[in-house]
Amino acid sequence: MTNLQKYTKAFVEAFDVAEDALPTLVYQAVPSWDSVGHMGLMAVLEEAFGITLDIDDVIDFSSFVRGQELLRKYGVEI
Amino acid sequence: MIAYTRASTRAWSMLGSSGAFGLAAMELPELDSSVAILSADLSFFSGLDRFRAKYPERLFNIGIAEQNMVCVAAGMAKEGHKVFATTYATFASARSCDQVRVSMGYMQSDIKLVGLAAGLSVGILGPTHMSIEDLAVMRAIPNMTVVSPADCTATVKATLAAAKHKGPMYLRLTGVQNNPTVYQADFEFTIGKAIRLRDGDDIAIIATGTMVHAALEAATLLAERQIACTVIDMHTIKPLDEAAVKETLGAKLLVTIEEHNKKGGLGGAVAECLALVPRKPPQLVLGMTDEFYHGADYHYLLEKNGLTARQIAESILASYEQVLA
Repeated sequence: MTNLQKYTKAFVEAFDVAEDALPTLVYQAVPSWDSVGHMGLMAVLEEAFGITLDIDDVIDFSSFVRGQELLRKYGVEI
Repeated sequence: MIAYTRASTRAWSMLGSSGAFGLAAMELPELDSSVAILSADLSFFSGLDRFRAKYPERLFNIGIAEQNMVCVAAGMAKEGHKVFATTYATFASARSCDQVRVSMGYMQSDIKLVGLAAGLSVGILGPTHMSIEDLAVMRAIPNMTVVSPADCTATVKATLAAAKHKGPMYLRLTGVQNNPTVYQADFEFTIGKAIRLRDGDDIAIIATGTMVHAALEAATLLAERQIACTVIDMHTIKPLDEAAVKETLGAKLLVTIEEHNKKGGLGGAVAECLALVPRKPPQLVLGMTDEFYHGADYHYLLEKNGLTARQIAESILASYEQVLA
């Protein structure tokens, strides 16, 4: 599984959204991406990529696209 | 259905104990159809947004009126509801002391009073919001059960256990977001039954709340000096697991650690338990000094009170060397 596939799978399973909606998906755009869902996504991404996110990045993780940028800091190219 | 996976326990840790409580609350109506939750204008902070969306008829915002909230909770409990009432720990305990004493303790109401942000976690808001004496208040009230989970996983377990518990209970939630994790998988949580997390013959450490993780880290540091520590998670302060306390009598030093005033909390409860025991190890009580603090960051306040793992290990080592001298 590629990093993009892992990343996409995490979003789809965490928020129950269609893949084609992901490129424009932002925090709180769907009810499931609330503060609780956000932390669930962060935990799944940490496990999927074997990383530990800094709390500042957890807060800054505001969209599907922004998340891709942030993960580069952890050596995860998507 | 709650799954105790590595990812879920990590997510709860990131949410902090209030958020973990809110997630566990989603399960409560399945456990008891009479469940209702009251909030003193803190439903978001209590992690209860999802609960409000799914069960709007079960969540009541009483407003910034904590004493009234306890009385409303008592009335609802007498009408047969299993009531969880949530607010900042200091407003649940100090501000609402008389209501808790009469409408919970004396009336033996089936209320679970959830003290959010206990200890120093909202230290930035100053001494009015820090809760450094709630254990002393709550454990002195007859009929109260007092529980202080070690981490967010334990918070989930304690919340579910509270739903099955009969009678008045105070659930003390400590720590901030990104709370250190003690339990990364499912485990047995029984109110009144302490959990032994580590075995060692030299020193016995009994800790509660966030200090359980700090105690484990301190034990690891002491192990590097060939000092072996037992670590016990005393999640229930009242009724105290006296058998677990007495199992530590063979240690050369007994240490209690709490994010609470050194007076009147876990340290006091353990000392009372052992008062008449003729041969016992000396007890080092670690906690907060008996004073009010200026508003400051949580981690700064922990350090100021000597409650980081490194500081705890140093304090224990100093006392241990005195004992051996």
